[in-house]
This record gives sequence, C-alpha cells and structure tokens, in this order.
Amino acid sequence: MDLFPLWLSLRVSLSATALTLLAGVPIAWLLARRRFPGRNLLEAVVVLPLVLPPTVLGYYLLVLIGRRGPLGQALASVGLELAFTWGAAVLAAVVGSIALVIKSVQAGFETVDVQLEQAARTLGRSEWSVFWSVTLPLAWRSVLAGTVLAFCRALGEFGITLMVAGNIPGRTQTLPLAIYDRVQANLMDEANALALVAVGIVVVLLFGLSRLARLRY
Amino acid sequence: MSGTVSVAIVKRLPGFTLDVRWEADQSVIGLFGPSGAGKTLTLQCLAGLMRPDAGRIVVGDRVFFDAAAGVDLPPQGRRIGYVFQGYGLFPHLTVARNIAFGLRGRPRAARARRAAEVMERLGLGGLERRYPDELSGGERQRVALGRALAIDPALLLLDEPLSALDAPLRRALRDELGEILRAWGTAAVVVTHDFTEAYRLADRIVVYENGRVVQAAPRAELLWQPASETVAKIMGLRNVLRGSVVKAAPDRIQLSWRGQTLEAVNSPTRSYLPPPESPIAFFIRPEYVRLVRKDRSAPDLHHMNLMRGRIVGEADFGTVWILRIRLDAPGEPAQGEFDLEVEVPHLVYEILEIERDRHWEFSIHRGSIHVLPA
Repeated sequence: MDLFPLWLSLRVSLSATALTLLAGVPIAWLLARRRFPGRNLLEAVVVLPLVLPPTVLGYYLLVLIGRRGPLGQALASVGLELAFTWGAAVLAAVVGSIALVIKSVQAGFETVDVQLEQAARTLGRSEWSVFWSVTLPLAWRSVLAGTVLAFCRALGEFGITLMVAGNIPGRTQTLPLAIYDRVQANLMDEANALALVAVGIVVVLLFGLSRLARLRY
Repeated sequence: MSGTVSVAIVKRLPGFTLDVRWEADQSVIGLFGPSGAGKTLTLQCLAGLMRPDAGRIVVGDRVFFDAAAGVDLPPQGRRIGYVFQGYGLFPHLTVARNIAFGLRGRPRAARARRAAEVMERLGLGGLERRYPDELSGGERQRVALGRALAIDPALLLLDEPLSALDAPLRRALRDELGEILRAWGTAAVVVTHDFTEAYRLADRIVVYENGRVVQAAPRAELLWQPASETVAKIMGLRNVLRGSVVKAAPDRIQLSWRGQTLEAVNSPTRSYLPPPESPIAFFIRPEYVRLVRKDRSAPDLHHMNLMRGRIVGEADFGTVWILRIRLDAPGEPAQGEFDLEVEVPHLVYEILEIERDRHWEFSIHRGSIHVLPA
C-alpha cells in the first residue's frame, strides 16, 4: 500500500501547526491583553474560517494565490508557485486551524491574573520578559491544547486543500483526500487501513494531551 | 532612608474621580479609608501601573510622573516594591525563584547571594523549593515582602497586606509586618481599611474618602483629633453626636446636647471657636464613660458632665460589655433607640451587678469629649 499520503499529511500538519502557533499566539495575546482600534473586527475575522464553508474559503484562497491572483503573481515574479503544491496544502491547513489556536490560547491568556504581570513589571521585567516568564508559563495548558487541536484539524483538512492544492497522487494527495479517492475507486480495504491510521494518530495525541494536563506547571 | 513622598494627582475613571494631594516624609505612611475610596488606585499610580490624567509624583529626589513636564517613568524604571493584595506570588515558581524574580540582570552568583540573604532575614530558610500553594498565610506574606524587598526598593507599597488572613493570624502578622518594616527601614505606603491596622503600622495616616483626602496627620493626632465628623465615621468611632455650641473659649467648649450642658476641652493644637448656637459634632469614646458607683456615698468631685440614664440594650464581647444607654431626658434618643454606647470591663459589670441594676448615673471627663470641627 502506498503510504505517501500519510507522510505528506504528517509533514503538512506539522508545518501548518508550527506556522499556526507562530502567527496565532501573538494574535491571541493582542486580543487578550490589548485594546486597540479594529480589535472587534480582528476578533470577527479570526472566527471566519470556523464558520465559512471550506470550499468557499478554498475558492477565495485560490483567487488569491492562483496565477492571476495578487499573491500568486507576486510569488511568480520571484519564481515561486504555490497553487497545487504541498505548500498550498500547508496554507489550507493553517487557514483551517488557526482559529482554534487563537481562541484556545486567548482564553488561556485571559485566565492569567493581570496582577501577576504587573508584579513582574514592578520587578523590572520588560514586556517581552513578562510574556515569557509569567504569561506563557501560566497559560501553557491552553497553548498545548490549542496546538493539539490545530494539528488534528490540519490532519483532517479536506475542503480547502482540495480547492487550492488539488488531489494529485504522489504530490498533493493528503491522507483524507487519499481515503476519499480509495472509496471512489471502491478500494475499501485501503480506505479502511488509511482511516485506521488517522484514527490511531489522533487517539495517541489526545491520550498524550490528557497525561500532560496532569502536570502542574 | 530619607525620602519625601509627594503625591498630587488626578485620575478620572468612569463614575469615579481620584483627586488627591498628600506629602509625607515619615518612614511608614498609611492610606486609610473605606473600600473604593481610591487607595489602591493611588498605589497603582505610584508604581506606574496606572497613568494619572494630571499631576506630579515625586519619591525622594526622583520625579516618577509629571504631567506638565511630560515625565512618566515606566514601572520597570521606578524601583518600587509592590506587595499586592492577595500577594500576587508567581504560582509556577518556587519560593527562591519568586524572591529572585526582580534580580535579573545581576550576575548569577550575586542573585543567589541576595536571594539567600533576604530569605535568611525573613526567616524563610528551608522553604526555597516550596511552591506558593504549599505555604501558610504568614509564609506567603513574608515571601511577597521578600520578593519586593530583594530589589532594595526606593519605596515599598503594601495593598491591604493582611486582608487575605483570618482574624487571629491577622493580629499576629500585623505585628510581625510592623517589625519587618521597622527592621528594614524602607519607606513604605500601606493601604488599609482597618483603622487599628493603619494605627499599628503607620507613622502618618492619610484618610481617603470617595477619591479625596479628608485628613492627613500623624497617627496620634488622627486618633485624638479627627478633623471632621466624616473622618470620625470612617475611623469607625462610636458615639459621634451632634449638639449646639453654648460657649466656646480657646481652652474649653460648652455645648448643649439632649437637654444637658456638657463641657469639653477644646483642641490644644487648633482652637475651634464657633459662635454660640451653631451646630457642633463631637464624639465620646465608649470606654471613657464612667458609671457612678452607688456604694460610695460621698460625692466624687472628679465627676463632671453628670447624666442619668437607663440601660436599654447590652452585648457581651467577652472581655468587655457594651451597654446602650438612654438618657432620662425628654425627646428622641440621639442614636435611634439609645443615646450613648458605654463600654465596661467584664469585671466591673459583675462587681456593680449591672445585670440586675439597669438605672445609672454616669459621668464623662471633659477631656474625653472630642469636638469635631465642621
């Protein structure tokens, strides 16, 4: 059996999770700790990927990164192409999962007592240091939960990926797309095996998460 | 540590305006007043955690804030030790790391030495590896103090330092805190809504009410000469009463109350000379009202301001009894059902058989009637 979809999916999901954290944690901090113009708008935009149909999201992303799209043209001018590559699959997974990270981490930051951050400031710590030594260590559970959720969501991403990365066997066919393909081709044994692998990965992750959650800090 | 703390700030919040001005060079300054009077807000402005709308804050020779000159030092640059209400210890760090938290930037060895020295002085040896939730209330207080003192602050701020504790512990820790403050000699501002606490801890007390300062005085002066009826009420004084002036002289004031003429000592520091007939507020401490013994026939010349009344209510507080007395005088009693609260030691209550005998003559020395300037 061809295991390429499994490796591709793991690679895509890990990359997407890393990018999601990198972009999502700062946004979550802004939403939890700062009042600025456009905050409500940002809060609404963040939730959009959760409520819009994936195909609609995928359509707009394709318009953005396609040959004629503004981003697509900009990338083409430096010799890069994103649409229908595994990079597009990563982008799809990021868009599909970033809301989960932002919401989970924002909630985590909001439960950290502002007084502790103020204490750190009076003790001479910079905002950067306050974040790394107080806010983040006290919200790590939420960050971890958001990470695992995001990874699982990225692993299961289907609609957006199909629109922007296509379903090219050996290139952009991720695990969920491969399962869909096998079912279409009536290869039920292969579909069954791949589905079991997906279930296995998620179960192991969730179990690990529940074990970690028992640690104090 | 000789530094004057000078605060003159205005801060407008929705539904509340803080507009205070006080100055003190005593080592421990108490901010005293009811909850919501703006005491904590003042601490936050001092620490740089809240920016006033206008005014100036100077500690020692350093200007922390000056709206006119555009000066506003960030909290990191003020070197202020802040002991938060509930202490605000970092729950994810050990005692040692909590105490060393503000020492970042010093060499590792110097950091460890300073933390160890602070823990030693505060009697926290052996608790280095504990987490805050494994400490008793008293230990937590000392860790919070240690964390703030470790940075050798220019000023220590304490927000209701004892409110997290229950009553018996509270009293013990109040005295311990007082000793620590004196031993370290760091200038401090203590916020409290408990007058006893303010009196025990502070040399000078600033009384807050509704965003304003209503009196600022050395603690003894505040205790014996509250500046107004408002201050007396905030201090929780009992028998705050209203009468009218009969005659005011620099040393004595005669006043009329409930059909009696009482003689009071005028304030020795600032004589108060209201015209006759003008309303006047005064207070009588319940423990300074003397019951006249019936078993002594000879009239006691020391008795003055004699009055007669009947006990209409009483409560046993263990070591003392509080009696509520209604005067034998026509008209409405001054405080609802009664005119005066009188405190007598338990032993006196038993010896005089007050339980059976409800009708008494009592006297108040003129020095125990405190006039409250309007």
